[in-house]
Amino acid sequence: MTDSPFVEVEGLHYSRGETSIFRGVDMAIPRGRITAIMGPSGTGKTTLLKLIGGQLTPDAGRVRIAGEDVHALSRKALFRLRRRMGMLFQSGALFSDLDVYENVAFPLRVHTDLPESMIRDLVLLKLQAVGLRGARQLMPAELSGGMARRVALARAIALDPELILYDEPFVGQDPISMGVLVQLIRRLNDALGLTAVVVSHDIKETLSIADYVYVIADGQVMARGAPADLDVDRDPRVRQFVHGEPDGPVPFHYPARDFYADLLGAGGPK
Amino acid sequence: MIDHIVRLGRWGCETLERLGDAGIFLAQSMFGVPSAEGVRLWLRQMHFVGVMSLAIVLVSGLFIGMVLALQGYTILVDFGAEDALGQMVALSLLRELAPVVAALLFAGRAGSALTAEIGLMKATEQLTSMEMIGVDPLRRVVAPRLWAGFVALPLLTIGFGVVGVWGGQLVGVQWLGVFEGSYWGNMQASVDFVADVGNGLLKSLVFALVVTWIAVYQGYALVPTSEGISRATTRTVVYASLAVLGLDFVLTAVMFGGLS
Repeated sequence: MTDSPFVEVEGLHYSRGETSIFRGVDMAIPRGRITAIMGPSGTGKTTLLKLIGGQLTPDAGRVRIAGEDVHALSRKALFRLRRRMGMLFQSGALFSDLDVYENVAFPLRVHTDLPESMIRDLVLLKLQAVGLRGARQLMPAELSGGMARRVALARAIALDPELILYDEPFVGQDPISMGVLVQLIRRLNDALGLTAVVVSHDIKETLSIADYVYVIADGQVMARGAPADLDVDRDPRVRQFVHGEPDGPVPFHYPARDFYADLLGAGGPK
Repeated sequence: MIDHIVRLGRWGCETLERLGDAGIFLAQSMFGVPSAEGVRLWLRQMHFVGVMSLAIVLVSGLFIGMVLALQGYTILVDFGAEDALGQMVALSLLRELAPVVAALLFAGRAGSALTAEIGLMKATEQLTSMEMIGVDPLRRVVAPRLWAGFVALPLLTIGFGVVGVWGGQLVGVQWLGVFEGSYWGNMQASVDFVADVGNGLLKSLVFALVVTWIAVYQGYALVPTSEGISRATTRTVVYASLAVLGLDFVLTAVMFGGLS
């Protein structure tokens, strides 16, 4: 990791209403690698991706992509920057009124003036890469969850982005599509040299493909390092998360008053 | 007491903020250089909000024209003035009923559909993914729908008026036996193109803008859950109907009430 990072996050603060979500997050996402951002549910991992993509504005701090301060850009410049990024949404977020082919062709049609024959070639290449060339005529409603996510992946790489953001790519997938996705993410990275950010809490799969890992919790970066380093991290919070222990510094119970008093406390709130 | 004042103040501030937000939203989506793709998307929306609303608007127009003639006749005949039926039907329709009822029907038929469609696109992250692809959903999704509504409603209003006048003739002349020459002749003599037809169309343009604006904004700004979508759809119909009726009073006062 000698070259400059592609995405830099500095002193990021963000809160939603009264709830503080990030309290000073710093990150450096290296170019051409797969960086995983992990953490328990509800720590704001998806929010972090939205902050990086410029859909949300932080209360304080900066996000720079390829040297450009995302939140200081005009709406137009921000949309220009986004053409260099792809994002894979948890739900796939395919356009429900377009078929698979048109979904993948969408970014090409709006951002390039390529002739139809070349668009066709590119779309088929991308669909071939995710193994769904034969499904090009299907509508999004006819796809399974795993297929929808693979089509979304083909769409996300249609313009050959430099950065791709994966939002929980493994959630709700059966073991086969999970394996396919893991392989695809790794292969795309190796073949195209993309910079990838994977947000996930599927430890095994994520650690198997990540080059570098950040663990966030309580609004801060709790640990960082190569996957092997995390496995032997001594911090009890990191240990609990990485090894999936049900109770520990992150409590099993939602904060409540004493159980005994609660059971006997007739007349209290339900 | 202080609490109530604070709450009222907060409500006032929030309402103003939302209005400002909706204003910026309108400005950002309505103005821009149209592309060939934009025209294609607009035509498609014209089909959805305009052509698909034709049936309900025309059928309602027919019935309202027929009822007007029936009611008008029973009153006018007492004074021997049934020859004035044509002008009564035409003026009621052109000045008031066509713009207002067509706008109310449009809010229920097309407005609620626009809100639900945009809301569902938001809930399924389609709008966000469009943004991430580098396409502004305000230009791609909202603008064609806004312009389609803005153009479609006045056209529907014209259809409503025409069918209504014909429906009035059907009942008045064909059924109740009003002399055909006086039905059309009195109408022609008393309807002024600018003052009646023009003002009616102007009303309809205002309603078109307001109804479509409310519909797309409610869809775009809703809370992306199933409850949020249902609430926003209801709000579209309620706000749009109230806005149409309220604005109608103001516009009528200015146009026909001698306020100008």
